[in-house]
This record gives sequence, structure tokens and C-alpha cells, in this order.
Amino acid sequence: MFGAKSETAETPEQTAGSKPLGETATAGSTPSPVSAIGRGAKTIDVSDANLYYGDFHAVEDVTMKIEPNKVTALIGSSGCGKTTFLRSLNRMHELTPGGTVKGEIRLDGEDIYGRGIDPVEVRRLIGMVFQAPNPFPTMSIYDNVAAGLNLNAGRMKKPDKDAIVERSLRGAHLWEEVKDRLDKPGSGLSGGQQQRLCIARAIAVEPEVLLMDEPCSALDPVATLAIEDLIGELKNRFTIAIVTHNMQQAARASDITAFFNLEKSGTPGRLIEIGPTEKIFMKPDEKATEDYVSGRFG
Amino acid sequence: MPDGARTEYQEELAALEASALGGLDLVSAALGRTLEAVEHQDIELAQIVVADDDRIDGRYLEVHQALITLLATQSPVATDLRLISALLHVLKNIERMGDQCVNICKVIPLSGNEPPADEEMVQLILTMGKQTRTLISQAKRAFCERDVDMARDLVRQDDVVDNLNRECFRLALDIGDDADRREWAMTMLLAARAIERIGDNAVDIGEQVAYVVTGLFREFEDASHPGS
Repeated sequence: MFGAKSETAETPEQTAGSKPLGETATAGSTPSPVSAIGRGAKTIDVSDANLYYGDFHAVEDVTMKIEPNKVTALIGSSGCGKTTFLRSLNRMHELTPGGTVKGEIRLDGEDIYGRGIDPVEVRRLIGMVFQAPNPFPTMSIYDNVAAGLNLNAGRMKKPDKDAIVERSLRGAHLWEEVKDRLDKPGSGLSGGQQQRLCIARAIAVEPEVLLMDEPCSALDPVATLAIEDLIGELKNRFTIAIVTHNMQQAARASDITAFFNLEKSGTPGRLIEIGPTEKIFMKPDEKATEDYVSGRFG
Repeated sequence: MPDGARTEYQEELAALEASALGGLDLVSAALGRTLEAVEHQDIELAQIVVADDDRIDGRYLEVHQALITLLATQSPVATDLRLISALLHVLKNIERMGDQCVNICKVIPLSGNEPPADEEMVQLILTMGKQTRTLISQAKRAFCERDVDMARDLVRQDDVVDNLNRECFRLALDIGDDADRREWAMTMLLAARAIERIGDNAVDIGEQVAYVVTGLFREFEDASHPGS
């Protein structure tokens, strides 16, 4: 899954019949992102994951499954390790000095930390959207979306790239707002638009999984709800895990909720409870979960 | 957020619970007066019960509104959410129980000023009423103490009321051919039926106790599928 170049080339099957970018699509002329791609999302299986920053044991013994076509929310107070855990799922944790991972993390059975696995390819298959919208400021909207394609797919014909950029922007619910100014800088967009641009950039390379680290924390409520709607749609195509401090967001936008906690400062974070979001917010098994979701501590 | 956060909200929710369940004390007092009015055919006392029902209705409206405000402003979840949901149910039960007392008090004038046609039936109704007041206080205690076993026991207690109600029915059938006596018996059956419904409402409150504690709502007994 990770190594072979031939598999990574995302030659879009939609190329045939694709139109020049910028031409307004007529109703029915654009395949929906879901039907256009038609491939299943993948499961992430984590067993006994222990994460470290040098000597510091940040996350201890996490075993959980992140299921396909579902949104899994990771909640917990600051310092509980949920973001560290998220970053271990696409091998970004090891980019932090001293960051190491023990245990197994498998994507549809394949160990992403296995021998010979290319971390760059892992990060293509498991994309990340960050807390603050971070479009490349000097790049145009078009180039922002195409940035990952240029890195991953080598030389790609312009019409193919156009098609993917349009499809990704449509998938991120941004196309109608930017189709007439694709050559303008991404930094000229509003915060919510910038975050959707980053989502478009992430999905342009056709990942299997999307990880989101507090994707709405810098956005106003309207932009937040737009992203949540988008997440609800994207789960039809991707496996999604989202770290959020906003309990209502976890309740609204996720199917599964995982609660992380640490006993006290300096001890490793642990997975306390994971279950259907409805259960976590109605009748969690653990008192710590109950106290956290009820706002009694955290 | 430090430990013990949201104390104001927690205190408000606790106060609303106390206020809602305090409605059961109002109902119990109303039922006590209702029974006294039945026993003595006291129409004036019956009228007081009818007028006093505004207090129960007022409690319902006040606490109901405050709970909705908490829902809108505090985003309660987990136990808090289950508690609020249960209290909204319980308030409705309390309001219905108060209305049943009113129903009884409204039929008392219809029973006439003559002495009771059948003393045994009056005594049955008074016994039913006392038993139902026991149910009311037990429902309140089970809720306060989150005691599911005590809540479930309400079913057993309610069976006593149901049996007394059936006994009333049997007595009414046997009351004879005299038109006045029959009319009196019909009136008393309405009263017995209303008390029996108050008992059912107490059992419903017990079901809400189980919901708050377990997160599962199950009827203790399914009237449409008895024995299932």
C-alpha cells in the first residue's frame, strides 16, 4: 500500500470528460465526489501505543480502533495527549525532536511504522488538517490545492490537475466561492474559507484518512458549522479523526468519541473511554468521562 | 477549569429538582384534603382543593421554564441531561396528579348531601387514597435517593391500589336498583378511578428514577402487554 510508485500515482479516472477549470459546471455535469472516487475508507487499528518526547512518557497504552466512514472525536483536557496521539497516526509525532512511538498502528492491517514504510507516503494516505488555517500565503488558491499533487504525483497534465483542483474545492464546499479567483492568493480568503482551502488541499491527494487537529478553534460559529457539515459529508469518503476542545462539536459532528485523561500533570495521558458519541454524552461508563463532558473538570 | 467547576449551575439544577419534587408534597396534601372531602362530603373543602390546584400548576410552569432555560444556556449532558429530561416528565406527572384530585373534588357535589349510600365503598376509597399517598411519598424518596429498587417497588404498592379499585367496581355492581344509590356509586367509581390514575403516575415517576440512574427507559409494566 505504501511503497509502490504505481499505487501512489493518483491519475484521476475522472479525467475523461473533465472540463477546463473555471468553467461553470451545469447541473449534473460534475460527478459527486463520492461516486467519482468510489473506494472504501480504511480502518486504523492502534494497539498498545506508547508515545514519548525523549524520556517523557506522553501517552500510555492506547488501544483503539478508528473506524472507516465514521468521525471519531478525541476529547480531553489540555496535556492529555490527544493531539500527540493524533500526530502519531500519520507519523508526524516523530518529526518532533525526541518523538518516539512504541506499539502498533495499522492502516487496514498494514503497520504504518513497519520496516521499509515511507513516512511521506503514510502522510499522503493519512492527511492532516491543522488548528490554524495554514494556506501557503504567497501561493494562489489553485496552487494551494495543487501543492500536494505536485509533491506526490510528479508531472501531471494541466487538465488532469484542473480536474482534481475543482473536485477538491467542490469537496470542501469552496468551489462556488473561489472559482472566479483561483489565481488570487489563498491568504486573501476568510478564516473559514482558508480552513476549507486546507481541507481541499488535504483531500486533493486522495488520502484514506483525514486527521483534524481542532480544525475550528480559530473560526467563528458560522464557519465552524460549515466545517462540521463538511466533515459529515467527508466521512462518506474518508476515515476521520478529529481532536476538539469543543464538547458540543464532538457531540454534533462525531459518531464515536474517545476520552483521554491524565491522572495529574507529568503523568502520561491514557484513553479512559471510547464509545458511541451518544453514549459518551448520555451515559458514559466512567466517572471521569462524566465529569469531563459535564464540564465539572477539565 | 478547577475541580468543582460550574457550581452555580449545579446548585441551580439541584434547587430545581427540589422544587419539582416538592410538587409531590403539594399533591399529597391535595389528595389528603380530597379524601377528607370525600369522607365528609365537604363541598367547601373540595372547592379549596380545586382552587389550590393553581399552586401545583404554577409550580409546573415555573420549574418547567427554568429547566428549559438550563437546556438552552448550559448544554447539559450525561447525568444532568437525564435528570432534566426526567424532571420534565415528573412535572407533567405531578400536574396530572393534581388534576385528578380536582376531578374527584368536582364530582363530590354530585354525590348529594345524603349520607353515603355504601359505607364499605367509602372506606375502600379512603384506603385507596391512603395507599396512594404512600406511593407518592415513596416515589419522591426513590427519586431523591436515586433508589431504583425502591422505585420498582412502586409497582407492587400500586397493585394494592388497583385491587382496591376493582373491589370498588364490584361493590358498585352490587349496589342494587335504586337510582340514587346507583348514581352515587357511579360518582364514587369516578373518584376511585382518579385515585388509581394518581397511583399510575407515581409508578411513572419511578420509571424516571430508573432512567436517571441507568440511562435506559423501560416501563416497569406494560399495560398493553400485561405479563410480558
